[in-house]
Amino acid sequence: MNEALLILAIVVITALAFDFTNGFHDTANAMATSIATGALKPKTAVVLAAVLNLVGAFLSIQVALTVSNKIISIQGSNGAPIPALMGVPILTIVFAGLVGGILWNLVTWLLGLPSSSSHALFGGLIGSAIAALGLGGVKWDGVVSSVVIPAVASPVVAGLVAAVGTWIVFKITARVAVGSREKGFRWGQIGSASLVALAHGTNDAQKTMGVITLALIAYGSWTDVHSIPLWVKVACALAIASGTYIGGWRVIRTLGKGLVEISSPQGMAAEFSSAAVILSSSHLGMALSTTHVATGSILGSGVGRPGAQVRWGVAGRMVIGWLLTLPAAALVGALCWAVAHGVGGGFGIVLVFAVLVAAAALMFRHSRKTKIDPSNVNEEWSGRLAPSTAPSETKTPVGV
Amino acid sequence: MGEIFLKSFEALWQVLVAGIVLGAGLPALFALGIRVLGSGRTLAADGASYTTPPTGAGRVGSTVLFAVCGAAVLFGIVVIVFGSQIFGK
Repeated sequence: MNEALLILAIVVITALAFDFTNGFHDTANAMATSIATGALKPKTAVVLAAVLNLVGAFLSIQVALTVSNKIISIQGSNGAPIPALMGVPILTIVFAGLVGGILWNLVTWLLGLPSSSSHALFGGLIGSAIAALGLGGVKWDGVVSSVVIPAVASPVVAGLVAAVGTWIVFKITARVAVGSREKGFRWGQIGSASLVALAHGTNDAQKTMGVITLALIAYGSWTDVHSIPLWVKVACALAIASGTYIGGWRVIRTLGKGLVEISSPQGMAAEFSSAAVILSSSHLGMALSTTHVATGSILGSGVGRPGAQVRWGVAGRMVIGWLLTLPAAALVGALCWAVAHGVGGGFGIVLVFAVLVAAAALMFRHSRKTKIDPSNVNEEWSGRLAPSTAPSETKTPVGV
Repeated sequence: MGEIFLKSFEALWQVLVAGIVLGAGLPALFALGIRVLGSGRTLAADGASYTTPPTGAGRVGSTVLFAVCGAAVLFGIVVIVFGSQIFGK
């Protein structure tokens, strides 16, 4: 096997692994509220989200080669790689960026923090681009307009919409029988949450498809900048859907139980707000991150309900996580590039890949100490992520 | 740099308006449907449920309101699939 092909293969596998982490990190965005209020059983919710992500991934008709092009200078204006970087140089940059994104996703998952996968990927790419090309390798205007401003604005916008929606909903239904109110809103919750899951599949799978296609072009086995090979589409769709199905229970627990004590009217208002903000933003020239929007919406649904408990400490931890996403992923991306490039060639890439696998295994093992799964995800929030009881296969899940 | 902020602010303002109209308006319609479905019925002593079935008008009214919300979700799917063609990105 020639060296460049080996590198390409590792880049593709790493990209799919990123897509997989993207899936389980973001299950919560659509389904945390439905799981928390019991509108859907935990297992049903993740199956529904996985199917909708799969369908959504195939619905994406736009070519997303431009995603990385907004923030780093490794491509020309049509999305094709800059000739000087063709081959191994661009593959190394993309690979190191992906590793940065994956590791940040895993750390935040371990801590149960919702965090934007796109921003983690952008952070990783920015870091590896700086390491490889210097500060000029980054399009700082693009970083401000497509990372920094959206990150600050989305929770505010979504929170405002959800707060207004929640407030109105409780006003209107103040004298409705409590039981039938809870039951009625669960249907609205399921409908709006499904929309969020579908939109997520369309938006996020596309990014990985773009990254893999870019790698294929850099290697020289694909030339068309306007279409994506079918196998790439299928592989990315399956990766994000299976990730979603695994369900990031730690993040689901934080969003569904930790941030706000949520009832089904709030859940419905939050999901409608997320769907409306995500869909309108992607067509009004300011694409917002699903994670930031969903978190803002849930927070807003707590603010909008008079007397509801909002845990600002948990919200504060999330904000810190968001602020760290870009620099932390960038640092890892830069380090990975330096190691891969320093060692050189296929061996450098293999070495970094081995470190990635080891780090992932370590974090997975650590997560087992406070295991969260469908059976204990809905347990009362007692100030920390870890539920008081360990999961059990026989016990009937709480909230079902 | 200043131009970026200006453009972003303009876009965000539009997102906020669209978000309030759809993201808060639709839950309001749905809530109205729940309320209409419960109108004219007798509450149980604990306030948790009703002792009488929905009225005819309640059924019709709530069905219409829920249908509007359902149609909005379908419209959302259309936007997801064909959005970039409809809005030209």
